[in-house]
Amino acid sequence: MCKCAQIAVCVTGAVLYFLQPAAQLLGQDLNAEAKSKDAAEARAKRNAQNFQNNAKVLTLLDRYGQRTGQIGDRAMYDVVVMSPDGKRIATVKEDLDNESADLWVADVATGATTRITTSPRTEFISSAVWSPDASRLAYVTIRKGHEAIYVRSANGQGAEELLYKNPGAFLNLTDWSLDGRFLTFAISDLSGGTLYILPLEGGPERKALEIFHSDLRIFVPLFSPDGRYLSYIMLDKTDKIEVFVRPADPVAKEGPWQISDGSFSPGFWARSGKELYYQARDQSVMSAAVSTSPSFSFSKPKVLFRQPVPVPDPLQCVSPDGQRFIVLPPARGQELQQITIFDRKGQVAKKVGEPALYSGPAFSPEGDRLLVAKNDIQTGQQDLWVLDIATAKATRITGDTRFKTTALWSPDGKYIFYTALIDGDWPVYRKPADGTGKEEVMFRYTPGAFVGVSDISPDGKFLVCNSGGVVLLVPLLPDDPAARKEIEYVRDEFTDLTARLSPDGRFLVYVSDEAKPERFEAYVLPFDAAKPAAVDKKWRVSKDGVTVTSNSSAMPHWRGDGKEIFFRGLELNSNDLVMMTADVETGSEFRVGTPKVLFRLKGPIDGSLGAVSRDGQQFVLAINVPADKTDKRATAK
Amino acid sequence: MISRARLLPLALLVLAALMVSPATAHHNMTAVFDFNDRVTVAGTLTDVDWRNPHTNFIVEVKGPGGVIEIWKIEGPSPSFFRVRDVGKADFEASVGKSVTVEISRARDKSRFGLIRTFALSNGKSVSACPQNC
Repeated sequence: MCKCAQIAVCVTGAVLYFLQPAAQLLGQDLNAEAKSKDAAEARAKRNAQNFQNNAKVLTLLDRYGQRTGQIGDRAMYDVVVMSPDGKRIATVKEDLDNESADLWVADVATGATTRITTSPRTEFISSAVWSPDASRLAYVTIRKGHEAIYVRSANGQGAEELLYKNPGAFLNLTDWSLDGRFLTFAISDLSGGTLYILPLEGGPERKALEIFHSDLRIFVPLFSPDGRYLSYIMLDKTDKIEVFVRPADPVAKEGPWQISDGSFSPGFWARSGKELYYQARDQSVMSAAVSTSPSFSFSKPKVLFRQPVPVPDPLQCVSPDGQRFIVLPPARGQELQQITIFDRKGQVAKKVGEPALYSGPAFSPEGDRLLVAKNDIQTGQQDLWVLDIATAKATRITGDTRFKTTALWSPDGKYIFYTALIDGDWPVYRKPADGTGKEEVMFRYTPGAFVGVSDISPDGKFLVCNSGGVVLLVPLLPDDPAARKEIEYVRDEFTDLTARLSPDGRFLVYVSDEAKPERFEAYVLPFDAAKPAAVDKKWRVSKDGVTVTSNSSAMPHWRGDGKEIFFRGLELNSNDLVMMTADVETGSEFRVGTPKVLFRLKGPIDGSLGAVSRDGQQFVLAINVPADKTDKRATAK
Repeated sequence: MISRARLLPLALLVLAALMVSPATAHHNMTAVFDFNDRVTVAGTLTDVDWRNPHTNFIVEVKGPGGVIEIWKIEGPSPSFFRVRDVGKADFEASVGKSVTVEISRARDKSRFGLIRTFALSNGKSVSACPQNC
């Protein structure tokens, strides 16, 4: 009965197709250059760094949120599912070197693990469920181009058996009914979601029964213990999640019932059928008293516990008896971020405000304010704020559940530009930097395409953006945003990112993997908005690589007088942030000096495009600091 | 590289999962292509466009009555192929020759599709996945 939050892997795993037997295929294995000693060593270091920063340990909590133990080894877990008898846990663990993910079983009492599947390179197990007697595991993977559900013994012995061949993609398998007769899964994409149950009688030609379809995305259906109802979650257009319950019978007239008022997890049934658990947006674990006989009913959810840590861990799974809750605490321990300003020697010049879940700090053009993204632990919401550096006074810019990214100041400091995800699209918006006024859509790109803003021209007449490795110019005319059309300014076979204009508007610095695959360098091009870039005429600024962070920012930045370019150096041996600088001239011809290290900071630290002040004298970063483990907000039942 | 969002709440995990890596792909494929609508296109490869955000191919297919149908086929980014055991030259060698492409067709039912497999003229088969599926 206990099932886990599998959405991410179900979606990402479902997009990982492997269409033919490996021996006949091209496109899966690395070529000779990628297998070379240098490339292999660099890849191994990146993978080791990724593992070091992200591998976690399965951790048990009791009904009061207290940690009571750990299970198994440290790993990159994608799926965590407890067996119906509560004695074992099935997990899907990533193999970074093989670019694959496989199914394992861990014994709760001993931590001993058993490998269940061994996937070829680039192949993934995307979701898994236990049979009611805990003897078998059903799982989703893609073989010979077709996504399917397979089943095999939970001890790893014997062959796998095909249970169901999905005619499409994105199958999110999340439960096996306790009577053993049905599986349930959801299939969602940007066109909406559908709930299914799969009767297991018969052979591989079994037909799935549609229970419910919605224009919204649906994930993680879970059977009530008596099999009569399904809990599931739906995501609205702004990706706000709610837990619902509806009958497993498609023709039943009752329901659905919305259980949550904001959730970050599926709705987990207790084996008794009398409780339903989920994690609320403030990360409290909630419990709703429920009944499924004669019909479904529930009471208003109550806080069961709040983990006694400043940043509660996402709930992965609940044991059938409702006594154990499994979480994956962060690899480096509980951390918040302190907004910190450094000088050119890497010395702390000022700390702004108190630590919180901050990212992407950026100096205003005048250097007196900071733009930051902040995750509010109480609301589970990420928003943009402006902080006054002198007073730390915060002004809210946005207030909604959308995910926002690539936020930048306008050159005059009056507006904040950003991209926000809404209904699968990434429009570019702006709002006044004083927190007043309405949000304006500035540009809409191809449906479903991510577009990030990397600069705004000094005259405010066009945006510089990047999407899919292409540098775009977006003229902010005509007035009708729907009529605005991008210009593909740098488009070639290489991944070109984060282009930024020189202060005089005559040159463009950007990063590209042109010189070597899987490695970026900074380049400068002459710039003329009236015509696409002549990419054959350019200057390489970096010599030994640049680090492109998770937000695709290598932090290229022009000093305000155009005489210096900053960028983040490549560092594969540690998490350190290496701030590099190169002297440049932007006269009749561009000239660049030898890059040198300005300072190093112990990381990991994400960078942002506004991290350097206009005068090049200050650097603002969100520095990880240990969170206070005696957080007074923590409450227990 | 496995691209997964980490240390994010569930909602953001979902977002990140739906959001393809900017370095390797351009749009969420389900916005444009229907993965339930698989079509096999057999014809002559007439053009290869090897640029980001996606490779693009033109395949001319002899339709009913001998009418030539033009199919536009979208593939993974060039970056995907830069580290793989197949590349631009393999595709360009098939220009003017017979190829067979299995695609997920565009939702608007136009002659536009997303590569699943691409059988080159020399008999070799290229999987466009996992990057572009």
